[in-house]
Amino acid sequence: MLNLQRWQTIAVIAFTALAVLFALPNVLPAAVLDHLPTWYQQSRINLGLDLRGGAHFLLEADLRSVLNERLTNLSDTVRADLRKGQVGIKNVDVENGQAVVVILRDDAQRAKALETIRAIDSSLAVSGEGDTIRLAYSQADLTRRKKEVIDQSIEILRRRVDETGTIEPTIVREGDDRILLQVPGIKDTSDLKRKINQTAKLTFHLVNEDVATGGSTAVLPPTTTLVPTREGMQALRATNAKAWDEIQAANPRMSPEQICRRFQPQCLPIFKRVIVGGEDLDDAKATFENQQNGGRPIIAFSFNSAGGRAFCAATRANIGKRLAIQLDNEIISAPVVQSAICGGSGIITGAFTTQQVQEQSLLLRSGALPATLTIIEERTVGADLGADAIHSGTVAALVGTILVILFMLFVYGPVFGGFASLAMLVNLLLVLAGMSILGASLTLPGIAGLVLTVGMSVDSNVLIYERVREERENGRSPFSALATGYERALTAVIDSNLTALIAGVLLFGFGSGPIRGFATSLTLGLVTHLFTATIFTRMLLATWVRWRRPTELPV
Amino acid sequence: MLWRPHHLIRKRTTFDFMGKRKIALALSTAVNLLALVGVFVFGLNFGIDFEGGIAIQVRAKQGTIHLDDLRSTLSGLGVGEVSLQEFGDPSTALIRVQRQEGNAQCVANAERVMKRRAGDGWSVKPGAAGTGDVEFTAPQGLDANAWRDAVSRVGLTLQDRQLPRGNTNIGKIDMTPDQRAEWCQQVAIKLVEDTIGNQFELRGTEAVGPKVGEELMHSGIYAVLATLGAIAIYVWFRFEWQFGVGALVALLHDVLSTVGLFVLLRLDFSLTALAALLTIAGYSINDTVVIFDRVRENMRRYKKMGLIELLNFSINETLARTLMTAGTVFVAVLALVLFGGPVLYSFSIAMLWGVIVGTYSSIWIASASLVYLNLRPEQLRAADEKAEKAKA
Repeated sequence: MLNLQRWQTIAVIAFTALAVLFALPNVLPAAVLDHLPTWYQQSRINLGLDLRGGAHFLLEADLRSVLNERLTNLSDTVRADLRKGQVGIKNVDVENGQAVVVILRDDAQRAKALETIRAIDSSLAVSGEGDTIRLAYSQADLTRRKKEVIDQSIEILRRRVDETGTIEPTIVREGDDRILLQVPGIKDTSDLKRKINQTAKLTFHLVNEDVATGGSTAVLPPTTTLVPTREGMQALRATNAKAWDEIQAANPRMSPEQICRRFQPQCLPIFKRVIVGGEDLDDAKATFENQQNGGRPIIAFSFNSAGGRAFCAATRANIGKRLAIQLDNEIISAPVVQSAICGGSGIITGAFTTQQVQEQSLLLRSGALPATLTIIEERTVGADLGADAIHSGTVAALVGTILVILFMLFVYGPVFGGFASLAMLVNLLLVLAGMSILGASLTLPGIAGLVLTVGMSVDSNVLIYERVREERENGRSPFSALATGYERALTAVIDSNLTALIAGVLLFGFGSGPIRGFATSLTLGLVTHLFTATIFTRMLLATWVRWRRPTELPV
Repeated sequence: MLWRPHHLIRKRTTFDFMGKRKIALALSTAVNLLALVGVFVFGLNFGIDFEGGIAIQVRAKQGTIHLDDLRSTLSGLGVGEVSLQEFGDPSTALIRVQRQEGNAQCVANAERVMKRRAGDGWSVKPGAAGTGDVEFTAPQGLDANAWRDAVSRVGLTLQDRQLPRGNTNIGKIDMTPDQRAEWCQQVAIKLVEDTIGNQFELRGTEAVGPKVGEELMHSGIYAVLATLGAIAIYVWFRFEWQFGVGALVALLHDVLSTVGLFVLLRLDFSLTALAALLTIAGYSINDTVVIFDRVRENMRRYKKMGLIELLNFSINETLARTLMTAGTVFVAVLALVLFGGPVLYSFSIAMLWGVIVGTYSSIWIASASLVYLNLRPEQLRAADEKAEKAKA
């Protein structure tokens, strides 16, 4: 039987209406959209980089040399601490970029040496015997550090890309050691590429408390400069977009002091002298205080031996004063020195939330030993090239659709050809709605996928109609021919859909960028086609039969 | 008259498809062998996606592009092999630069870029042999920021530990040879930009380093094999193993002959071409499934019919829909070929070919292979042989 239950018909119509609803934001003017809820506004297809223009970079982080660098720092600390502990050493060296090897002068001192090393970092994996001690980071620690390096590289990249004033960049981790950077609509990629290669600059300065109360109009001694705080700049960005634009566009760049004088964001006077640089900061991580002290979220940081000494001297002489941490010309934090911090590691306490300490420690790490990023894949498309692609894609899609419709009308006549065309158009609508809901990107190959969907989605109608013609020739009545034809063609329709779907899904798994766009539209097209080819077409045929009660099928 | 249905095939046809199967088999074997030979002798015209390298689309700021002039400018640049083709219209061209090696030539190129972008006094030299190190010499003493800024102009990151030591002006960036090879793609892009940037507008740049190229190649081969295998297994589960094998043979035929088309026409074999290959595999199986479906149905209905007769009968029964389904996709793809623009050209041509060859292989490869796969019991095959002899 062709007939659907009433609720089935209602469900089909409701489903189609829902598709219209979700595809609608793509064509609604912005003025209307602004009045609608955000989740609905977001139901739109994004244009891929190849259509709207923009840059796509795949970057590889050099984790190997980061590890090497950490091991070198570790070997420096170990050497210094062992000497201080009066342990005689022949040699301390990094081995193959994998481990630090310590060779003792006298293996009787092994226990003492191990104790010293454990005090430096108790999580190290220790091996070797006699006078040889081999130190390596544990696998869990390495994984954590790798993730940290990538996170911090992403953070640095985000700051760099933000500086170029572009909107909506995508910066995501890909695999173990790669970062995908996509910047839509960017014009000058050579500037962006240069920015990728610039590291973040982290420095520690003392706050000049003598002028700190004077505000940003105070007369400063030549040793002191004004630097805006991160909160201050964020507030400025949020409240005074014009000032922000001006700062971005300024050429040559405005100094932090000029920004402070001109726009009066929250600023701090700091001594220009750098106490410690970010390159001496070994690690910074979010953690918690001891339970006895209240268990609050805190930031723990550690310096290498050179940094530790400088930090020790500076904090000892300045207890009670603030220490400003400057990252890329913004002060990210200015904690008060509670006590002399010697021994290379310390903590920052305050009324922080867990999220805040995580963010702060990430910012701190941004200045420490960043990994070099190498561009291993680049695809940039100029805006007018994208416009050309949109044009040719649209024309091809329109012509393809019209040709297919004409072909179907010609072969199966206005009624059945019309049904097939209607089902095909609804299928197209469903694909667009699906892409809108997923927020998928439409690429030029994606348009090709749509055109193929158009060609393929009438195929199931062809299979049904041909079977109907056949059943009719075998002498069945019109109604029976229609019902049997539909039913018998269905297995072939589903089989051919599923085999094509296999190719689509594998293509999605394999593809990147534009190809993934092709796989998306093709795969979605095949999935939605299962709906239009089976239940939607059936509804059309059943309704038509009930309405016209045909004595002959115009097929 | 448009408003009445037209039957593409008026009456039930009775073509003897299987009678021609030996000719078809010979023809297909020849085509596929030629395709294989072509791949090994002439090679595929791999795009940068798989081979690595640089593709830059340029448009003349004024007038049309004189390809010969541009070619002679670029070939003297020291970036290796450069090929040019008009792209879409006479004022637009696609420059293809071969994949760069991380050799001394590349470092020399980097020096030219550095002199132009950071100042004449800079020099760039390769570091110790066996490493990928690069040494920069500044014209005068510079502070750390100036160093970082200068080095970023050739696309490298200078870490603090790499700053000049002691009284020298030499900063050394340590890299592995592989890292240097990746960076060298960027050097070549910058060199081309500097050389032709004032006469041409650079509309789009694509660069694929050696590593990514190799990965895409591997995963591409893997994707094709996985697709063919998965489809064959699906058909095997839905029908019988003979059908699965028949489908697989037909798919291999379609993929291989499409690859042959790429060799013959020297089309760019890029990621989109690979997408076409997979789509052809997924599409061409559709007709095959329709025919197989009918064969299976008829096998139940006509238990005594010889296999060859049964196949012929089934193919003739389904011929109209085989042609119609191919026809609808054909007209859609035709629109892509005609209007889809130069970027999609290889893809569209391959798809157009795939639609034709997929239909052919459904009949003469997939179905014909069933004849050789012991689909029906012994006695019926004897009937087949008798029927064939009687005809001859």
